[in-house]
Amino acid sequence: MSDQAIVVEQRVVATSGGATVTVFELGSGPILGVLHGMAGLDSPTTAMLDLAADHRVIAPCLPGFGPTPDDPSLRSIHDWVVALSEISDAVGITGAAWLASSSSAMLALELAAIRPEAFASLVAVGPTGLWEADDPGVDLYSLPLGEQANLLAHDTEALGVLAGDPDGLDGDDLIEVGVSRYLRRRTAASLVWPLPDHGLAGRLHRVSAPVALAWGADDLLVPPSYGERFAGLLPAATLLSPITGAAHLAELDSPTEVATIVRQAAGGGS
Amino acid sequence: MKALWFHLMPYPELPEGFRDDHRSVWVDIDPTLYDPVVGHRAYHDYLDELEHAAACGFDGICVNEHHSNAYGLMPSPNLMASALARSTEDAAIVVMGNSLALYNPPIRVAEEMAMIDGLSGGRLVAGFPVGTPMDTCFAYGMNPATLRERYHEAHDLIMRAWAADEPFAFNGTYTKLRYVNPWPRPIQRPHPPIWIPGGGSVETWEWCAEMDYVYSYLSYFGYKAGQATMKGFWDRMAALGREPNPFQAGFIQFVGVADTEAEARRLYREPAEYFFNRCLHLYPPFADPPGYRTEATVRAGVEGMVKQAADRAKAAAGSSKPGAFGGLSFDEMIDRGYVVIGTPTTVAEQLTEVATSLNVGNLMLLCQFGNMDRDLTMFNTDLMAREVLPEIRGLFEDEWEHRWWIKPMPVDQRRPSRRAEVVQ
Repeated sequence: MSDQAIVVEQRVVATSGGATVTVFELGSGPILGVLHGMAGLDSPTTAMLDLAADHRVIAPCLPGFGPTPDDPSLRSIHDWVVALSEISDAVGITGAAWLASSSSAMLALELAAIRPEAFASLVAVGPTGLWEADDPGVDLYSLPLGEQANLLAHDTEALGVLAGDPDGLDGDDLIEVGVSRYLRRRTAASLVWPLPDHGLAGRLHRVSAPVALAWGADDLLVPPSYGERFAGLLPAATLLSPITGAAHLAELDSPTEVATIVRQAAGGGS
Repeated sequence: MKALWFHLMPYPELPEGFRDDHRSVWVDIDPTLYDPVVGHRAYHDYLDELEHAAACGFDGICVNEHHSNAYGLMPSPNLMASALARSTEDAAIVVMGNSLALYNPPIRVAEEMAMIDGLSGGRLVAGFPVGTPMDTCFAYGMNPATLRERYHEAHDLIMRAWAADEPFAFNGTYTKLRYVNPWPRPIQRPHPPIWIPGGGSVETWEWCAEMDYVYSYLSYFGYKAGQATMKGFWDRMAALGREPNPFQAGFIQFVGVADTEAEARRLYREPAEYFFNRCLHLYPPFADPPGYRTEATVRAGVEGMVKQAADRAKAAAGSSKPGAFGGLSFDEMIDRGYVVIGTPTTVAEQLTEVATSLNVGNLMLLCQFGNMDRDLTMFNTDLMAREVLPEIRGLFEDEWEHRWWIKPMPVDQRRPSRRAEVVQ
């Protein structure tokens, strides 16, 4: 299916908790829930467009990451897990196969630890949530802003507003882009500050659904070596070979490879 | 006009090539640079200097809080303030201040400040800063997204604790206490004066205006660069219908005075260059973690004072000028008002300009800065007290009431300080 044939629906959904989230839906087939990484979500990514060829891709934008407003009541990981649970129900991805990246993968695993039916299977791309003192990874927020983008993805254009100001904007539009970038950086940082370890290691044994662990080979934020620790703690994990040429947000750098992984995981071929 | 003597307590022996060989003066500064013996000497010298300033007539002496920082050796300003409460008589003890979100539970601030107020006989000014991003988010690991909410909750708890006449329960988001009942209680009722140190955040000056607190803009870049921020504060005050009482504002200023202009430039060049080139050698990402600035501040395009310092220090790294800070020479630092240097007459003129142009009634004067030694600091302090303060002290006094000043116990009820006993 070509990109032009895919209809993208964007709508705003209310959760049972009273929050509203923007969700993108595209394609047809079995439902695939997609949770974005630190860059947020302003429109479907290349990987989502690929997967929409044979899936009904449903991708909510989490609070503070773009079109979904910031929610100051989300302070702790517990708050976030409850919010994700309500968002999952509201957009209709509970019990489906999921693809989740970075801190969203951590939240998905946290949710499954207390709600095992949250997803049928998960492809986790570079999940945060563990901490190895001997192998801590780069502290993203101790780097100059320009270097932060390169560590998230080699394809910095795929980062959208996180990569910089779009050409041709001025005045109020430029201010709004700058504010949007700052807010999603704030939200992303709040999930891993000061360290990404919120106790997930002690809860991973409760995740019963199969989890495929994918990593960008060039991930300096959560080094690929973390895959072995996750695999050792998860009851039903498959650790995949790191994706060559991809940084932390591997789904942005290598969308075709990640889409292939998702299809293999859904077909039990991982 | 209140003239306050402010000490940052800088580490005095950062190496000559510090800027080239090290990334930052703050957060990840090389711990091997700290010599405890140098620190021992510095603490005693600095307390001597503060005590001397109080004895020779400054209205108040100021200490503040920093962490993992080589230009501020006071992780706990309360320790210094308690020592000074014992060794001074009349000067205000201005703690600028305790970064409220860093105290767990924050009732500790209510307790310790009540102790200082008690020891000093009611001379405490209670400063409540949010704290710099280096101190709060990096050195103390506070989540920048929740820092200000924590701060405001801590403020509410402390103020309620000081006002309450019976124990109460506090059910905050971050602090939950079944029994809030701080002993001791402050001498000043209902509470010591509240001053808020700020680095340029829009919310901070708006909040001060709304709460009727003193806003103290702690900029290292002098009164000329401080105009925009102080105008923002006074504009907000006007919008709220508040009077422009200069005693509701404070400002910090580096000062060096000598008998001649040439002598002043000779004496204070090295300490100024030490401060701006070594002490302000900040690594920029530490100054702006995402979430520290509020949305309103980002929208207004306002960058905090420390972020400006970091950016200027970074620019300085590419400068070929000897002793340059952000491409500025020592003479340019003077011209731009970063440091006020001169004779008693010219310094008094410049400080009058600082106070009147910013409409500030509380001048916090850095008479020690950088690696200025004890002798020069004492000389500077003496000359300031003897020949400059009399020229500026009358400013605003006839027009405005200082409603944010200390209310000490009557002298006849106060136990003499240790210094007074020794003198007797």
